[in-house]
Amino acid sequence: MRFATRTFLWSFIPFAFLLMGSFWAIQKLVVSTVRDGLRSSLREKQVSIARVRSKSEIQNSRFLRMVGESAFLKAGLQLLLAEPDSGEARLTVEDQLREICNTLGFDFLLMSNPRGAPLAGVIRVGEQLVAMDIARVQPPQRGFFSTGERTYQVTSVPMNQGEENIGILSVGERFDFSEFNTPAVLARNGKVLESNIPGIPLKEVESALAGCKEQTECELRLRDETYLSLPMESIYFGDGYLLRSLQSVDSASGPVQSILRNVFLIAGIGALLAALILSVLSSRSIVKPIAGVVAHLRESERTGVLPEFQARLAPIQEIGELTESFNRAATAIREGRENLHLAYMEFVGSLASALDARDRYTAGHSRRVSELSCAIAEAMQFAETEVEEIRMGALLHDIGKIGIADDVLQKPGKLTSEEFALVQQHPTIGRKILEGVHGFHACLPIVELHHENWDGSGYPWGLPGEATPRAARIVHVADAYDAMTSDRPYRRGMSHEEAVRALKQCAGTQLDPAIVPVLARLTPIHEDKRTLPPPSHEPELQSMVRLAEAVNGDRAPSVPQPAESRKS
Amino acid sequence: MPIRKPDMATRLFSAIFITLAGLAPIRAADIEGMIVVKHKLTKPKVTASASSYARGAAVELGSGGQEDPLAFERTRVAIYLEGDLPSKPVAATMEQKNRQFLPDTVVIPAGSTVSFPNLDAIFHNVFSLSKPKTFDLGNYSRDHTRTVTFPKPGIVFVHCHLHPNMAAAIVVSPNGWNAKADAAGRFTLRSVPQGRYTVVAWHKAAGFFRQTVQVRENRGATVEFLIPLDEDGIAKEVARR
Repeated sequence: MRFATRTFLWSFIPFAFLLMGSFWAIQKLVVSTVRDGLRSSLREKQVSIARVRSKSEIQNSRFLRMVGESAFLKAGLQLLLAEPDSGEARLTVEDQLREICNTLGFDFLLMSNPRGAPLAGVIRVGEQLVAMDIARVQPPQRGFFSTGERTYQVTSVPMNQGEENIGILSVGERFDFSEFNTPAVLARNGKVLESNIPGIPLKEVESALAGCKEQTECELRLRDETYLSLPMESIYFGDGYLLRSLQSVDSASGPVQSILRNVFLIAGIGALLAALILSVLSSRSIVKPIAGVVAHLRESERTGVLPEFQARLAPIQEIGELTESFNRAATAIREGRENLHLAYMEFVGSLASALDARDRYTAGHSRRVSELSCAIAEAMQFAETEVEEIRMGALLHDIGKIGIADDVLQKPGKLTSEEFALVQQHPTIGRKILEGVHGFHACLPIVELHHENWDGSGYPWGLPGEATPRAARIVHVADAYDAMTSDRPYRRGMSHEEAVRALKQCAGTQLDPAIVPVLARLTPIHEDKRTLPPPSHEPELQSMVRLAEAVNGDRAPSVPQPAESRKS
Repeated sequence: MPIRKPDMATRLFSAIFITLAGLAPIRAADIEGMIVVKHKLTKPKVTASASSYARGAAVELGSGGQEDPLAFERTRVAIYLEGDLPSKPVAATMEQKNRQFLPDTVVIPAGSTVSFPNLDAIFHNVFSLSKPKTFDLGNYSRDHTRTVTFPKPGIVFVHCHLHPNMAAAIVVSPNGWNAKADAAGRFTLRSVPQGRYTVVAWHKAAGFFRQTVQVRENRGATVEFLIPLDEDGIAKEVARR
């Protein structure tokens, strides 16, 4: 995953969670606030409706009292009381009640005796006022009363004659929702009797209200709209009747919620964009210097060198610290590597010295060969690393002689063919010794192949010409030169000119014809440096001679001087 | 409805005339008169029974188009002569039908009897608190009749306890010369002895109207009453005595 993606996710996801969380919380808050508002407005409306109703009820009751006081009604009542079994008397009173209903617009009117037993009544059915079946219908004296499809609100007044109560007049008006400017429902024991919600059948309202407990506030779903329903407690309705007023929550909270949604949509998009831009910018500010570091490291990986960072990559403290610690590490590694190399070189040097020390005549041979080979390689424009490989390889070129017994190696006389065969094994032995040591791989070909001749007559493999690596050929030339110019117990070393002459004779046969001229140009510089070992120790000298012979072997007669001197 | 018994007064008159003519050979002549009502006087309403359980819609009387509303008003005007003249009691009827007294104006000489039959399916009650005659016949039902005698002249207003909108007037005249105008407003007081008289016309809403006439031998008198009511049926002048 790219850093930019990570930064974006790390910055946007919490943002998104925060936004969603706050959206949810604010929405909840809004809905609950709206709901509270609705509740209080519903309650206020109910209170004002109740006030209006009670006021009109008082007025109605005064007015009804007047009706109850009317003489002709009392006359009718008295007639009815006087002639309880007379159908005509009941008709007379019904007729009177009809007239009052017509004049005053009541929907039913009932006359009862003082104990409340109905005597005569009329009720409006359609346009007609029909006689009430008093045996069956018994409306309450106050509250709600429903018969058939209709619900009436009933009020009663006493009819008095002086101090004596002679009857009760009950008046009913059909219940309507004229005072309600909000949806309202009238129900009795869960059955919806009336509703002023247009277009929704009562059955549907009833099933929606089924979940509401009596006398409690509740919420209901009606045609995909949520309503808050509040029972009206301030009006007396009578047995089981309940009036609920409703208010749509959705229509009240809808606009606020849609505004909220828009705000959050905009905020969300804004946050997304902001997170995107910020993450790109911030990741760029990190990634760019890191990419610099990475490129630097890649370069180091490719070249194997660990250069330090020169310039500050970015004005970021951490990146600065990173480069600084890289620099410190690089320095430490370089120093370690150098120390290791030095240690190697010292080790190799001392190994070579130890080898050389086996024979006083060969003392310093390895070092000299090494220096000469390096000089030739440098003159031939070798790369520094190759020169270093040659330096080490040349120092160790005869290491295999460790594995050859002193009596063979230091044998004063001519070597037998078996002995010579033993001596010829030293490159292979050297290779085997060094093979297991990490860090000497580069010099293995030098050690193994420094006795291969240009014409393929060398050992151990008899590789011809360029089949032998150049470094080994250089060491071969330098080795021959040093052998010839070194003193031996049995002879003095050749001069430079003699040696060069002898080498030139061998160029193209034993030696690489391209290298010999290089040496020829170089040697004078090296000749000065050449130090003769003090010829104090005869056996050492002898062994040197033997070494030289061993080096060149009797199969190398074209390295003339030692061979000749031996022969002579 | 307005003229239930249009010939009743005429018949009464003829009887009185014949009686008077027989009693004394006084020279007499007729007083002819005319009631002029230019506007509607009252708006009596009647609610016809559709059945015994329902009432029909209230309609304004005389507004049916088949009758002249002013004619109805003219028939509600009672006319009589003031003065001590002989009187012969009669028996008159005022029905209670469709929650109305019919006719709602009856004119009778003092000492006459009026019967009040109930023709409705419901109870009615007839009473009066008027000074010339106070009575209360109580509640009675269909096909029952009660009667009242009116010994003193004057206007007797009749009501029903059970039905406040039922009202009627019984005009008890001091003598036998009385009449009700016909639909055209005409009336005749027959065989009035020679002399100077005050002719009184009475309408329930407009009150009393008086005019003096001179009746000479073989020469009757004519009289015209203008009942001054405006469009709304309200009397322009209060009753003059």
